[in-house]
Amino acid sequence: MEFFNNLDIGFHAALSLNNLLFCFIGVLVGTAIGMLPGLGPLATIAMLLPLTYTLEPVSGLIMIAGIYYGAQYGGSTTAILVNLPGESSSVVSCLDGHQMARRGRAGAALAIAALGSFFAGTVATLLIAAFSPVLAEVAFLFGPVEYFAMMVLGLTAATLLAHGSFIKGVAMVLTGLILGLVGADVNSGTYRFTFGSFSLTEGIEFVAVAMGLFAFTDIVANIRSNQTREVTAPSLRSLTMTAKEFKQSVFPVLRGTAIGSLLGLLPGGGAMISSFASYAVEKRVSKKPEEFGHGAVAGLAGPEAANNAGAQTSFIPMLTLGIPSNGVMALMIGALMVHNIAPGPYVMVSNPEIFWGLIASMWIGNAMLVVLNLPLIPLWVRLIQVHYWVLFPIILAVCCVGLFSIENRVLPIYIAAGFTVLGCLFWRMRAEAAPLLLGFILGPLMEEHFRRSLLLSNGDLAIFYRSPLSVVMLSVAAVMCLIIVLPQIRQGRKVAFEEEA
Amino acid sequence: MIFKTNGRADIEAGLFFTFFGAATAALSLQYRMGTIAAMGPGMFPFILGSILAVLGAIILAKGILGGGEKARPLPLRPTILISLSILVFAFLLLTVGLLVALPVQVAIAMWASEHFTWKRVIALSLGLLAFCYGVFVYFLGMSVPLLAV
Repeated sequence: MEFFNNLDIGFHAALSLNNLLFCFIGVLVGTAIGMLPGLGPLATIAMLLPLTYTLEPVSGLIMIAGIYYGAQYGGSTTAILVNLPGESSSVVSCLDGHQMARRGRAGAALAIAALGSFFAGTVATLLIAAFSPVLAEVAFLFGPVEYFAMMVLGLTAATLLAHGSFIKGVAMVLTGLILGLVGADVNSGTYRFTFGSFSLTEGIEFVAVAMGLFAFTDIVANIRSNQTREVTAPSLRSLTMTAKEFKQSVFPVLRGTAIGSLLGLLPGGGAMISSFASYAVEKRVSKKPEEFGHGAVAGLAGPEAANNAGAQTSFIPMLTLGIPSNGVMALMIGALMVHNIAPGPYVMVSNPEIFWGLIASMWIGNAMLVVLNLPLIPLWVRLIQVHYWVLFPIILAVCCVGLFSIENRVLPIYIAAGFTVLGCLFWRMRAEAAPLLLGFILGPLMEEHFRRSLLLSNGDLAIFYRSPLSVVMLSVAAVMCLIIVLPQIRQGRKVAFEEEA
Repeated sequence: MIFKTNGRADIEAGLFFTFFGAATAALSLQYRMGTIAAMGPGMFPFILGSILAVLGAIILAKGILGGGEKARPLPLRPTILISLSILVFAFLLLTVGLLVALPVQVAIAMWASEHFTWKRVIALSLGLLAFCYGVFVYFLGMSVPLLAV
């Protein structure tokens, strides 16, 4: 009964005219920007975050969530129509989705992607509503020791599952943790690493970090690539699937939803891993694996459902534990903190309208995506064809004005410029920037829990091995680190991410 | 204008992380360390910096011993011009105002691309000024100085 009661609170909050409007704007703008090649959800959200700061917390979060799945969906559309993945989780959609488009089934491919995503989104939303309270109960039992162990596990897993070299990923997490410590120390009030600048005492503005590392670095990386964009434009009439295509996609969508929901829950999981896993599974269970890569319906429907389900369920650890499992969730936590809400199990109790409103809005947002995107396809096709030289000055200027508007200060803009240079260096060194963002968000929290744990134990490091929960989590993290050293697994990872390089 | 070294990514990354870690550890020495039971502000950054320096050294060793990926060629001109356009925007925004800062930023940024023409710079600047005014000032009610003088 409580389940429905909670959903009622949520829909009540989400269905207010104001919030519906912001959900709509979020989904629309998110799709439009996410569709542009080279702009993934991370860059899109970073760019639009300042716009949500002036809103009420509920509206702001609903809009950001809308931007997120809009961007996710927009990426798939580009993948299908142009064979350019807008973001990493739609790499798989390129394989069979674009082949379908080539064969004149572009409309059907878009419809399958939209409906599959919608189904997966609905299931995942229900899962979030059902499991978050349970997980939050567990989280209430956590003390500083368990929290510290949980963060170590989360960061290890996130780095392991992210692409790129593992050891460089760990180094990036550490770099992020250090950068997160800049500013006043919570316990003693000492200003650390501020180099005498008073403006840095509150820490480095995280939107500036995200924009520099993602939005601006992407511009530098993309500015010279003259990709020719051959758009396969579908006509509206071809949007209907045939009965055969529908039948072919039912089971892949179901399997994809299950895989995505599960993988999204894991730290480090989320949309990208889910879509790769689903593609592999579909190829294995298919009776005609030779069709994959040449426009197999299952090869599009499964991963599309999986990436949406994964994108949604990765909200669960973020909302209940306050631990981001990927870069986008790190941005969501940052956004919550801006509104003075500390993410964790208490949000559900102290701000039920935010928690359940966000969940209800996920479903509404998914429904809007279907209704909105299918009729607007001709418009999207025009948008993909816009030249990059038009886009990047717009991204730059909107980001810079947004950075200024956060606190009416120019310091965040200078910081973003610094992180642009840093981001370009990381790009050159092939060090993935997302783990840095996770570390950056978790830095202060991790230090606090670490210090508190050792204060409780009077300086005895063995405290991390006295709590059974902490032992389990730290051992899992240690085992993961060991596994990565074995060459066999390293080969496996190389193969899985080969297509992305 | 492409930055060309036969650089191996791991050597550069190793150097960077070693330096950054060591610098962090060194800088945190100026803060109180405290004991393990009651840590001062310097302890945690010192630990992180030390681990990072060691990891950096391992990455560096891996890079020198061969193997590891090749560095991506970083286009030097766009890197400098895009960063510069952001810096100049920040500087001009409060000294002269958005009406000047934005077109200058667009001009510098466009210069990084092969598609630079003055006509495009002017058209984009005008469009963006209207857009930013509409969204940030009119719709969101933020105070962005149009003319600071």
